[in-house]
Amino acid sequence: MAKCRGDRDDVPDCGSTASTGEGQSQNPFAWFDGMIGHCLEYAQAAKAAGKPVVGILCEYTPRELIVAAGGVPVCLCGGSAKTIPAAEQHLPANLCPLIKSTYGYHLLGSNPFLEMADLVVGETTCDGKKKMYELMAESRPMYVLQLPHQANGGAALEYWLAELEKFRAFLEERFGTEITDDKIREAAKLLNRERALRRELAALMKSAHPLLTGRQLIACKSSIWGMTDALRQYERAIELLRGQGGEASSLCEKIASEGARNGRVRVLMTGVPMVHGAERVLDLIEDCGGLAVAMENCTGLKPLAEDIDETAADPLRALAGKYFSLPCSVMTPNDRRIDLLRQLAADYRPECVVELIWQACLTYDVESHRVKRFVEEELKLPYLRIETDYSPSDSARINVRVEALFETVRARR
Amino acid sequence: MICAGVDAGSRTAKVVLFDSDSLGVAAAGVVDQGIDQDAVADALFVRLIRENGIDPSQVGPVVGTGYGRKLIRFAQKTITEITCQAAGIRHSVPEARTIIDIGGQDSKYLRLNGNGSVADFAMNDRCAAGTGRFLELLAAQLGVRLDRLGEIAALSRNPAIISSMCAVFAETEIVGLLASGITTADIAAGVLASIATRVAAMSGRNLDGPIVLTGGVALVPGMEAALESILGQPVAVAPRPQITCALGAAILAWKSLNGSPTPTA
Repeated sequence: MAKCRGDRDDVPDCGSTASTGEGQSQNPFAWFDGMIGHCLEYAQAAKAAGKPVVGILCEYTPRELIVAAGGVPVCLCGGSAKTIPAAEQHLPANLCPLIKSTYGYHLLGSNPFLEMADLVVGETTCDGKKKMYELMAESRPMYVLQLPHQANGGAALEYWLAELEKFRAFLEERFGTEITDDKIREAAKLLNRERALRRELAALMKSAHPLLTGRQLIACKSSIWGMTDALRQYERAIELLRGQGGEASSLCEKIASEGARNGRVRVLMTGVPMVHGAERVLDLIEDCGGLAVAMENCTGLKPLAEDIDETAADPLRALAGKYFSLPCSVMTPNDRRIDLLRQLAADYRPECVVELIWQACLTYDVESHRVKRFVEEELKLPYLRIETDYSPSDSARINVRVEALFETVRARR
Repeated sequence: MICAGVDAGSRTAKVVLFDSDSLGVAAAGVVDQGIDQDAVADALFVRLIRENGIDPSQVGPVVGTGYGRKLIRFAQKTITEITCQAAGIRHSVPEARTIIDIGGQDSKYLRLNGNGSVADFAMNDRCAAGTGRFLELLAAQLGVRLDRLGEIAALSRNPAIISSMCAVFAETEIVGLLASGITTADIAAGVLASIATRVAAMSGRNLDGPIVLTGGVALVPGMEAALESILGQPVAVAPRPQITCALGAAILAWKSLNGSPTPTA
């Protein structure tokens, strides 16, 4: 932990903000409760200092290139049901709520990060997003990365590498900067550290009696990666939970009494991302006596599983390799997702698996059949698939299923 | 001792009083659901005790289940209808390995382990298509009483195809079928087949037998035949299908007395 200060000084693009001193004294969980505000402040300060704010919409977008270009990468995925009616003026009702919510923010102009974005980067993952980006591009500066979907194809990886080369050149020209290999290595180092800290925090859930709930863990993340304040809060959270910090004990006891009640059912969640504001199903699971010990999704461990080789001779290739191996259901075949689930099941010892599918997310929906078979036949765990959207109208029905699942799990104990 | 199960369903409330000495049903009743679910169930509970000459001091634990289970204030414990249904069927049809439960607004499929515990289950999502409510709406639209739907469907030579995923759309679809001169019998048969098809989509085929149909819709003559024809496997109707879930709740209430920590049948 001590060397983090040195690391920070090495990074050219992530200067601290006015809130640094305040962040130091706050408890880290309170800091993450106000995360959006901190990110906003950070993005505004960066913008005032002449740095571009770059909106991203997917974990396939290599944040390192944006950071290396001197930019601030901020996640724009929508998690609010409120923006969906506006989106449905243009988009079909039977579409993924994440896409609709994101697009609703775009139409309403109500996401301050999107409004200040100098560039929005999309990617060809699912069809819904791809076509939505075309609409968004009519009035926003948009760059779409062409992601090939052949998970194991060497040629596909070469194509992806070429895409990133094009993207690098585009960013250089757009923002009048040079993205040297060294800058990519520096950015990789910074974001590797963020991944490592978040992995470490998540790994605390391996404990037989975790101090955090899954809901508390998922709140410990930042919409902007590479913020020194956020990195410091991850460190402080880890120290606190490990009982290393001086002022830790009282807060830890509070969290422990809330978070680690005996008899909770350990749940491995998989499927679609639960972006900020769209954590309803996680809440239902934990309110029914579950504990989400691991989340194999893009707002959980999926993008954290692998780092980038900071010492690689060709850092862009290292970047391409890491991002291309993300096990999203748009990939075919998506064996890596099964491998990741197997690993997480071994490490986090769940008693059941709950798969969340956003309505009309075709790739996760279809892939759920394979995941179910894998979970039941190989992991030998009960599996529950929940398909829903951002409206709470089916919460009572989801509750019945989750409770029934937990009754089944407890009967096996 | 008498143990009670209260199933607060979407259309009806059911109470079963289970006699733990004879291991049989001492009394059971079904009433239409109301706004105040607790009052509806409580009135039924009190009436069953009185009418059957049961000494109130002999009444032990009460388990609530069903959609409104958390509203039943006189139940000491709630257990989901999934676990209760498995326990009820374990008692009344011990050899069952698959349960199809079609109720007022839910349809469910449960796969059971050899010991009667739940191995896997699935339920319909937000929509009431493929449920009792769907049948009620469509029977009313056809001007056919629900208990005669099967009889009328049996006259069909060429069942209509009703494909809408939604009860409201299915109504519209039926308006169109009626307008194009399709017979009531063909539409009735189409309605039953569409429910069976939806259940089959949820459960998959090649189900482990014996397959038991339960829930209020099991009382609709012809429903099990429609399921058999889609699944290609025999389907038996559970005895007193409306109360199997409440029965399971009563049995689990009794088991909770024995200190059994796990709700298995």
